[in-house]
Amino acid sequence: MAPPPASAVADAMNAPARPRDSRTNVDIMAVTKGFHWPWLIAFIAAVSGVVMAFLALAYQTYEGLGVAGYQAPVFWGVYIITFVFWIGIGHAGTLISAILYLFRAKWRNAINRGAETMTVFAVLTAALFPLIHIGRLWKFYFLLPYPNQRYLWVNFKSPLLWDVFAVNTYLTISVLFFLVGLIPDIAIARDRALGWKKAVYTVLAAGWQGTGKQWKAHNRTVLHLSGIATPLVLSVHSVVSWDFAMSIVPGWHATIFAPYFVAGAIFGGFAMVVVVMVPVRRIFRLEPYITDYHFENMSRFILFTSLICGYAYGAEYFIAWYSGVEPEQTSFWQRAFGPYWVSTWCMITFNVIFPQLLWIKRLRTCVPFLFVLCFFINLGMWFERYVIIITSLSREYVPAAWGLYIPSTVELMVLAGSFCWFSMFFLLFLKMFPIIAISEVKELDIHARDHAREAAAHGGTH
Amino acid sequence: MATLVSVYDYPSDVSTVVRKLKSRGFEDLTTYSPAPFEEIEVAENPKPSGVRLFTLIGGLTGVVTGFAMQIWMSLDWPIKIAGKNFASIPPYWIIGFELTILFGGVLTVIGLVALAGLYPRPLDDHYSPRFSAEEFGVVVRCEDRDVAEVESLMRGHNAKEVTLAASH
Repeated sequence: MAPPPASAVADAMNAPARPRDSRTNVDIMAVTKGFHWPWLIAFIAAVSGVVMAFLALAYQTYEGLGVAGYQAPVFWGVYIITFVFWIGIGHAGTLISAILYLFRAKWRNAINRGAETMTVFAVLTAALFPLIHIGRLWKFYFLLPYPNQRYLWVNFKSPLLWDVFAVNTYLTISVLFFLVGLIPDIAIARDRALGWKKAVYTVLAAGWQGTGKQWKAHNRTVLHLSGIATPLVLSVHSVVSWDFAMSIVPGWHATIFAPYFVAGAIFGGFAMVVVVMVPVRRIFRLEPYITDYHFENMSRFILFTSLICGYAYGAEYFIAWYSGVEPEQTSFWQRAFGPYWVSTWCMITFNVIFPQLLWIKRLRTCVPFLFVLCFFINLGMWFERYVIIITSLSREYVPAAWGLYIPSTVELMVLAGSFCWFSMFFLLFLKMFPIIAISEVKELDIHARDHAREAAAHGGTH
Repeated sequence: MATLVSVYDYPSDVSTVVRKLKSRGFEDLTTYSPAPFEEIEVAENPKPSGVRLFTLIGGLTGVVTGFAMQIWMSLDWPIKIAGKNFASIPPYWIIGFELTILFGGVLTVIGLVALAGLYPRPLDDHYSPRFSAEEFGVVVRCEDRDVAEVESLMRGHNAKEVTLAASH
């Protein structure tokens, strides 16, 4: 029977939306709906931790930096360590969203939103620490070049100023990248929401309808942002490493620092993606989207970057020995066998020795094992920065000036609070926006169906 | 003028029908798709997106701003240290680079907003939530006398539904 002519067909487009929706939309948007006990418990814990950290910070702001564990010669402590740690965590998000996009690694589609979210909140957390570290929070604007009565400008030859520009650029570009990717998915949420939620999503979706013109501009924007975010991500941790490497402190003044820090950042960042996404997948039943295959691919990255870290650790020790420079040799001897030996051996064990288990496929594909391993890798990466910063500063050129740094309770509370701060934002995001890039997952699904249909039409020859 | 709205399940059908419609002179058309598909974008408009121009302008503005800012500020309060130049170019590459990225990225997103019309506004009359599920839409505006031809072309390329939405 011939189909009815168009003129005779009712205006279906103006009819109410049909109840049929895409399975992908329903499954992924389900995360934002309903009540989940584990989410609530985690959120209450995170908010409590943030309150605790703010109280500690308020106390430090009132009393001064004396309540931190700083004492001569160590005046860079937990705050700088944690700053470097969180900046590093952000790197995996940009790697997954930008670099893997340029390489057309389609497996990234299921995890890129989670990783980008992590990047934004990790950099947001990191950016707080230089301000906490300077003690007088209200003077933070001294870091920026601004016109002032004394006609003084900031020192553009200082790596600390490079860091201000690098971190702020990284934060801005990460947020833009994240928002650009989110717009089509917010439109999906808009089309399915009711009441005040619909009003909010309508504003945030900014008139997105998925027209050819919009997708074209969107794709080109994502491509260009990926293109510029790739050198950016490599530059940011290089600049952070130069905060150390540009000085003449034994243990810091090394040319390997930039690639060493970048590899370490990607290593730690991927480990954090695993630590965050394993419970998310389990609690919100996202197994059909984030599969063991994704975790295996991430574990390959972790193994590869662990080898680079292991090489960098070895190269540092070798160069210290080979240079024949006594303070350098002493600094590294003190790392391994001095008062901070526990941190050093934790770093080596968690970051180099444990990850070698990932050569075994059965362990690489065992998600609970990966979760535990990645937890220890994150611990190891924090210790790495502890070792680099504290050991080097406490064992400089003059033995008479050597000292011992022990983090104070205030510092540890702020450190714990930073994890809660990060978690609080991540948990809020989970309940407001899709944690998996729905349109990108659909792109793969629909393409696969289209190709299967074409193959069937051609007699299954493809 | 008439407006025909057709719905499809597969991007390859959409790209084919768009190409054929355009080759027959029906240029006034809009596609809706739930995900990015390059074949549809190319069929609808093979020209490269203008976003690239925004990125280029942003990047160039950034690098010039970065170097100009540092050189001017260094010369504005000259302090001679160890016989070095007031404005030494090599260390200025770092901030020059960062501002290239920053301005390039911001202008790219401004380009997206401008070219894709991303601001809160009413949705098109023919947009449907189906197009943010897994279905595709092709909307064609044509003369009343061409309705039958357009409809037959759409149906010939696996359109699930073809609707005459408006006729003035």
